[in-house]
Amino acid sequence: MNTLTLNNYTLIIMTDDKQVVLERILQVTRYRGYLINGMTAKVNTGTNIATIELFVSSDRPISLLTDQINKLVDIKSVKVDNSASQLAIPKPPQGTDSAGIRNVLR
Amino acid sequence: MTDSKPLTGGGLLFKVLEQHGVNHVFGYPGGAIMPIYDALYDSEVQHFLCRHEQGAAFSAVGYARASGKVGVCMATSGPGATNLITGLADALADSIPLVAITGQVPTAAMGSDAFQEIDIFGLSLACTKHSFQVSHIDELEKVLHQAFEIALEGRQGPVLVDIPKDIQMASIEQTFKTASPLKNKVKLPLADISKALDLLTHAKQPILYVGGGVGMANAIEEVRTFASKTGLPSVSTLKGLGALNTSDKNYLGMLGMHGTKAANLAVHDCDLLIAVGARFDDRVTGKLDQFAPDAKVIHFDIDISEINKRRIADAPILGDLKENLPLLTLSLNIKNWQEKTQQMKRDCAWRYDHPGEQIFAPAVLKEVSDLMPENTCVTTDVGQHQMWAAQHMSFDDPSNFLTSGSMGTMGFGLPAAIGAQISRPHDTVITVSGDGSIMMNVQELATIKRYQIPVKVVLIDNEKLGMVRQWQDLFFDGRLSETDLADNPDFIMLATAFDIKAKLITKKSEVTAAINEMLDHDGPYLLQVKIDAKDNVWPLVPPNSANNEMMESA
Ligand SMILES: Cc1ncc(C[n+]2csc(CCOP(=O)(O)OP(=O)(O)O)c2C)c(N)n1
Repeated sequence: MNTLTLNNYTLIIMTDDKQVVLERILQVTRYRGYLINGMTAKVNTGTNIATIELFVSSDRPISLLTDQINKLVDIKSVKVDNSASQLAIPKPPQGTDSAGIRNVLR
Repeated sequence: MTDSKPLTGGGLLFKVLEQHGVNHVFGYPGGAIMPIYDALYDSEVQHFLCRHEQGAAFSAVGYARASGKVGVCMATSGPGATNLITGLADALADSIPLVAITGQVPTAAMGSDAFQEIDIFGLSLACTKHSFQVSHIDELEKVLHQAFEIALEGRQGPVLVDIPKDIQMASIEQTFKTASPLKNKVKLPLADISKALDLLTHAKQPILYVGGGVGMANAIEEVRTFASKTGLPSVSTLKGLGALNTSDKNYLGMLGMHGTKAANLAVHDCDLLIAVGARFDDRVTGKLDQFAPDAKVIHFDIDISEINKRRIADAPILGDLKENLPLLTLSLNIKNWQEKTQQMKRDCAWRYDHPGEQIFAPAVLKEVSDLMPENTCVTTDVGQHQMWAAQHMSFDDPSNFLTSGSMGTMGFGLPAAIGAQISRPHDTVITVSGDGSIMMNVQELATIKRYQIPVKVVLIDNEKLGMVRQWQDLFFDGRLSETDLADNPDFIMLATAFDIKAKLITKKSEVTAAINEMLDHDGPYLLQVKIDAKDNVWPLVPPNSANNEMMESA
């Protein structure tokens, strides 16, 4: 049986606390094909630097996402926190729409 | 100079534009940007009133691409701002430096669904390199400087600055600081070229694959020196056209969906692909896993996110092409391969014999190319005429061939030509358009009329949305759904209504004289060239096929 292998990743993103920076990260993450499983965000009001933890999964290599997030102007750094843990999701039988399942997570 | 009126946000905008050497802007006024237009009244910056904000955005793109400067466009809030979006998306996709200024409803009204309020800041996220919404007059100057810097830094792109009306009106003491330089976030490591040198030294059938990044990096001289010193057989993407020397015997032409057979076959057979400022776009690669299937890859790019995005690079070289290309320059022993590719080039040379009296567009465009003065800038729209222009015209610099590459946006050609002509008043500017595309920004004929911009329009008229019709014939059983344009307006009458001299030709015998008449004419000119609606663009790599599976006829 075909399986679609989704890897889970935790990204630690340090960013200037600027307008819409969170929206930018979310937009890039969705557009580049990564599912968001959760996130935390907090700002150090002293330094005005926000730390965002982003939990994502995808069958694509994580460097494709970190390189794109890193390009965003306000981002200071992006790190992948854990060694990828594998989560094999069975591909649905032909004819069903796997996007339907993924969209729930988007 | 002493100014009696206190400086406002709007006035500050133009001072900063002047500081950045901006002489020309393209735009369209409206309620939420009126204080900026009021300040324009006193400014040295020359404004071109386009007839649609999309026209303004594309003129700014054409201006930037033809001149290497940042293009600037402006629009009011709401519909004005949304009309810019296609131009911003086009600039993002083709990495064009643009600064777009939008008026916004006053800060106090924001978020209240006010008249002509749209969240252009939110909309900008997917179609700009970066964007700002100014929330206080004190940050305006800094933001504007940053917008220019970001537009030009690294891989270039469009930046939007949304300015609420109250901030445009607020008075401000001007400080005239230059922007503090952006932190160089992605510290580029010194390129490790040892792997690349090793690959190149041992390659038997290497190919140089040149993209739009070469022109953007201003590395044309470097890439030409690299090509001639190594003697590498070379190919170009659509956006790379003009970067390589077209008279170099090892230059095989454009690759990809409508590339030359020689270029595609050589790339298919190569054992090393040296990608320079190119990004393995799907229109270039065809079926990705069969693109240059036996090749190792050396990939030069300024943008780390392009490395390994669609094709793993065996030797990535990140950074400035101007610095890095010379590091790999060595002489190679690839005589057999050169001879083989030169032979392919001879075997697959373009042919211009075409039966009957009707005009053959490739021959017309070749002739325009042969007759046009040196340093002519050609823009195109999108469709068959675009591909014929790319195939049959030659350019000696990427800034002389402006086409919407990544977005493939119909409506690009005419306003881009206007922008190009304004940036280069002494050069000839020609736009090659189609009878479908021209109607997408036809209102810009009024801009041409108003400023007497001497753009030449070569309108390839097949009374069809030709490229879509071609695909319907080839891949959809000839079911011609919504691609017929037999009821087009009378283009000669249309041009005449805008005081533009125009001529229609229908026969081969009329071509040469008409091209000369157009090129000799001082002002704007529209040459309508009727062609056979059934003519197709060949060769063609069908969808989901490898580049060596080109079709050469129906
Ligand atoms: C804005 C936009 N809408 C639709 C398309 C899809 N499209 C690509 S080529 C084409 C036909 C273009 O017709 P025309 O300008 O007459 O050029 P021809 O192919 O006939 O030379 C269309 C509709 C597009 N590229 N851009």
